[in-house]
Amino acid sequence: MVFNIQRYSIHDGPGIRTTVFFKGCPLRCRWCSNPESQRREPQIILHDARCTKCGACAAACPAEAITVTPEGRRVDWERCTQCLECAGACPNGALERCGSVMSVMDVADEAERDRVFYKNSGGGVTVSGGEPLFQPGFLLPLLRELKRRDLHVALDTTGFASPDLVEEMLPFLDLTLLDIKHMDDGIHRRHTGVSNGIILSNARLMALRTNLWVRVPLIADVNDSIGNVKSTALFAKELNAEKISLLPYHEGGISKSAQTGMTYAALHASTPLAEHVEALKEIITGTGIHVTIAN
Amino acid sequence: MKLDIRSRLVIKAVRNVRRGYEKDEAARGMYRPGITIDIQRSRLLTQSYKETDGKPMVMRRALALQKILSGMDIYIQDWERIVGNNVATPEGLFFGIDMNWRSVKRVVSGEEGESLLDDEGRKELGELIEYWKGRCMSDIHQEMFTGDLLKYWKFEGTFLWTHWSEIGIPDYEKIFRIGLRGLIDLAERRLAELDAAVPPDYIEQKEFLQAVVVALDAVIGFAHRYSKLAGDLAEMAEKSEDKKRLREIAEACARVPEHPPRTLQEALQSFFFIHIVRYLEYSTLGIGIRFDKIFGPYLEQDLVDGRITRDEALELLQLLWVKFNELGLIYSPMLSAVYGGVASLQAITIGGMDEKGGDITNEMTYLVLETAEAMRALEPSIALRYHNGTPDRLLSKTADVIRTGLGYPSLFNDIAILPLLRKWKVPEKDARDYAITGCVYLEIPGKNVARRAYGGIILPKCLYWALHQGKNPVTGEQWGASTPDPCGFTSADDVMNAYLEQVRFFFGRLNRIENTSRTIYEKYLPRPFYSAVLDGCIERGQECRKWAYPSSVHDICIIIGVTNVADSITAIKKAVFEDKKLSMDELLAALDANWEGYEHVRQLMVAAPKYGNDDDYADRITAEVHHRTADVMAEFTDRFGNPCRGDGSGVSATYGVALTTPATPDGRKDGEAFADATLSPVQGMDKKGPTAVLQSAAKIDTVRTYNHLLNQKFLPSMLEGDMKDVFVSYIRSWGELGISHVQFNVVDNETLRDAQLHPGKHQDLIVRVAGYSAFFVDLSKGLQDSIIARTEQTFSQSMPPLK
Repeated sequence: MVFNIQRYSIHDGPGIRTTVFFKGCPLRCRWCSNPESQRREPQIILHDARCTKCGACAAACPAEAITVTPEGRRVDWERCTQCLECAGACPNGALERCGSVMSVMDVADEAERDRVFYKNSGGGVTVSGGEPLFQPGFLLPLLRELKRRDLHVALDTTGFASPDLVEEMLPFLDLTLLDIKHMDDGIHRRHTGVSNGIILSNARLMALRTNLWVRVPLIADVNDSIGNVKSTALFAKELNAEKISLLPYHEGGISKSAQTGMTYAALHASTPLAEHVEALKEIITGTGIHVTIAN
Repeated sequence: MKLDIRSRLVIKAVRNVRRGYEKDEAARGMYRPGITIDIQRSRLLTQSYKETDGKPMVMRRALALQKILSGMDIYIQDWERIVGNNVATPEGLFFGIDMNWRSVKRVVSGEEGESLLDDEGRKELGELIEYWKGRCMSDIHQEMFTGDLLKYWKFEGTFLWTHWSEIGIPDYEKIFRIGLRGLIDLAERRLAELDAAVPPDYIEQKEFLQAVVVALDAVIGFAHRYSKLAGDLAEMAEKSEDKKRLREIAEACARVPEHPPRTLQEALQSFFFIHIVRYLEYSTLGIGIRFDKIFGPYLEQDLVDGRITRDEALELLQLLWVKFNELGLIYSPMLSAVYGGVASLQAITIGGMDEKGGDITNEMTYLVLETAEAMRALEPSIALRYHNGTPDRLLSKTADVIRTGLGYPSLFNDIAILPLLRKWKVPEKDARDYAITGCVYLEIPGKNVARRAYGGIILPKCLYWALHQGKNPVTGEQWGASTPDPCGFTSADDVMNAYLEQVRFFFGRLNRIENTSRTIYEKYLPRPFYSAVLDGCIERGQECRKWAYPSSVHDICIIIGVTNVADSITAIKKAVFEDKKLSMDELLAALDANWEGYEHVRQLMVAAPKYGNDDDYADRITAEVHHRTADVMAEFTDRFGNPCRGDGSGVSATYGVALTTPATPDGRKDGEAFADATLSPVQGMDKKGPTAVLQSAAKIDTVRTYNHLLNQKFLPSMLEGDMKDVFVSYIRSWGELGISHVQFNVVDNETLRDAQLHPGKHQDLIVRVAGYSAFFVDLSKGLQDSIIARTEQTFSQSMPPLK
């Protein structure tokens, strides 16, 4: 189940890349910029600009969750069963199905299209999500196929998966982009819904077998304390990670929460001050590890 | 003390105050305050014509040039090192009364041109116009038409034909090698041979060669006038540095262009005289010179000999840039719609291959880029030739200049263009020396490709006629080809064929109009000076219009709106013939209603696959539209039998002339701008990012079509810091994909929108329009909007996803 394949990705690993977004994630981070990535099942996403208020969606909806008036279209998300009938009925793509089952070959073919750009930029393919390790039965043959085609492959992961599964994937990876949201287990649980224990131990496995970039989505008053950033940096250093990327919070996910009707807590997250981010950068540099911001 | 050279720039860019024939903010004036029309050339030219009646035409033109060059006022400003202009004041505008007096009359009579001339000037212009009535090219041309050509010659919206300037690049290498004196010697030797042999065309050759000698002598005399003026000013100058500067000018102008230049300053001065005399002899455009190839050796020698420092050379170049911007042209109201924001389309070429295939980059290449950065001027636009041997350092510096938002360097790909030139039968050695002049026009320096962009064909209008059997639905008049009833079409092929039949109908007429005009130019506007500075004319004893470089690198017809045609045919194929979601009847009704009451039909057409997304379904049809349109044009030939061809230099016509094209089946509404260039997707329809755009563009075969233009819009942050290397790799990939052209607007839409609201704050904001850059505030609101509507690449990628 894939929800997007984005070409010319330039923030998900080195060079120009194509990023394959898997749908479904075990974490529920408040700052998630792609809330539509969380559920495993396909769902509808609204594009108001394309709506001509023709009423085809309302007519098609068996749950009577959609009303269309001259002012616009309203979806009652409590009633919506995500049956997707409306997406099929809409002639304009104003209700779009998000998430589709693709074959390994289709994904690999699409990923290979920009090979010339990968070659010239040192780029490749990044498998991201959601959480790719949440769909091991699809991930493993995909990674195998991408490697067979001699592409540079990166896995962008929360690291929340069984170590056996991680072990199985590692031979087909050139690079792992691992998110570490917090070094403190209690705080990590509070904000993501899961423990960080398994993530940190998987990090050690990944570091042994692939190049590792540690990524920290930086949320003000959640994980941007000097103490947390410093212990993240020391951990990354211990693992011999190539670099840490600080990704300051941005509001990219807010509009999507309205488009998907997902109750979404990111409205409460906030962006750290630029000066503070610079100070954190200095601190990380001080531990002897390379750091980049928003990249 | 450092000069503030940039403050000397005079801005002569034409504002596009009209769209088509519709007024748009005319009160703003067509030119900035202080800019005036210069009528000295017209006055002297007219006097000379009255004196020389009865002499051979080629000699009359040479004598007219002599009259102008010896009689017009000249000036040297107190900071100049490179001198000369095609008009008598820095603020003057040039126009060719001998070509067409109507345009200039229309401009000065209209509200928008009110400030260009005072009452006395208006009176004199009126008198001069009286002489040219029936004598200018446009009048003679209209007299010549028989049949229906006159009817189609007037702009109706399907094609545009103009008496537009010729471009072309003199043989600077030869001029620098032997000087104009050497050319005169050559002509005189040929005259002596002629007298000995007396061939059948003895008189024709003799008249031409005699005119050449007169014209070249006149140019030498023109330079000597500047030498004398500089010498006189030096005598009067108080400061020793001024004396020194003026004496250097006097010395340079005494020597060049008569003799070979010895220093960089002399080489630049020689070039600049030739450049401006091209205008004075005959309305012209462009520069085209391979700047680093020609001037690099002079720079290097000066540096080695210690005659100049790098900083001094940089200053000299900046001073030359000011002089480039002192050249300006009058544009007709119609052309100002097409060429909004243009000054005189001067482009220079840097980089690329030498004759043996090696890279020619030298220190001058970098100096040109540094000058561009420092001057931030509209002209000259810089064309960078790219090939596999282009050094990383040059691409990195190029990215820095593009990052400033100037819109240039514009990139041309040797990997795509050399095979095209080969197809056009250009010998490999000449092909490797190609240069860009004007917008994206390909030229062979020094060769007889005296040529013009004579018009543009508006392809979506051809499709419109194909969907209306060539009949005007309002008047019932049969205007285009009588093609079959579209309601009987059973496949997209039927649509394509009817469209091509309309292209054939209209392009055929355009071609005949152009060929007749070329014949008239040959008879009434010979160019003895320009012929003399080309390879072959003196040798053959033939003026440049009487023979042609044996290739299609000649006249061009601008291709307008091709992507909209492709997306339209794709949408018809998908929605009507494959998915059968609507009938042709319904579609035609929706189009004729400009989608009103048919928004659901429009959405269906918008939802169909679109060019620019690396989607083979849409891209295959787009390539077919390009290839087959080019094939139809090639069925017609110029006067010498060379097949006609298109050109990607859309100028701002994609906006300006779209006004007269009704709704198109791709979802475009009546009057909306077309896609902004031959390779550009329709605004906002490319949704898969900048790599997918290039992959789509790469499917259009340059060799089977023409040279192209592709605009990309990037955010400034995409070229900064770590991202610069990614951008350079993007350019390398563009090169490898074999796409002939790309250029970048690097600006965010917030800035552009702010500039619309607060023009005063953004007087300096430059954007790339088509093959040229313009001040954003000079463009009409509609053209501004169409630039904002270009898809901003990497918008979604400006932030990393957060998980």
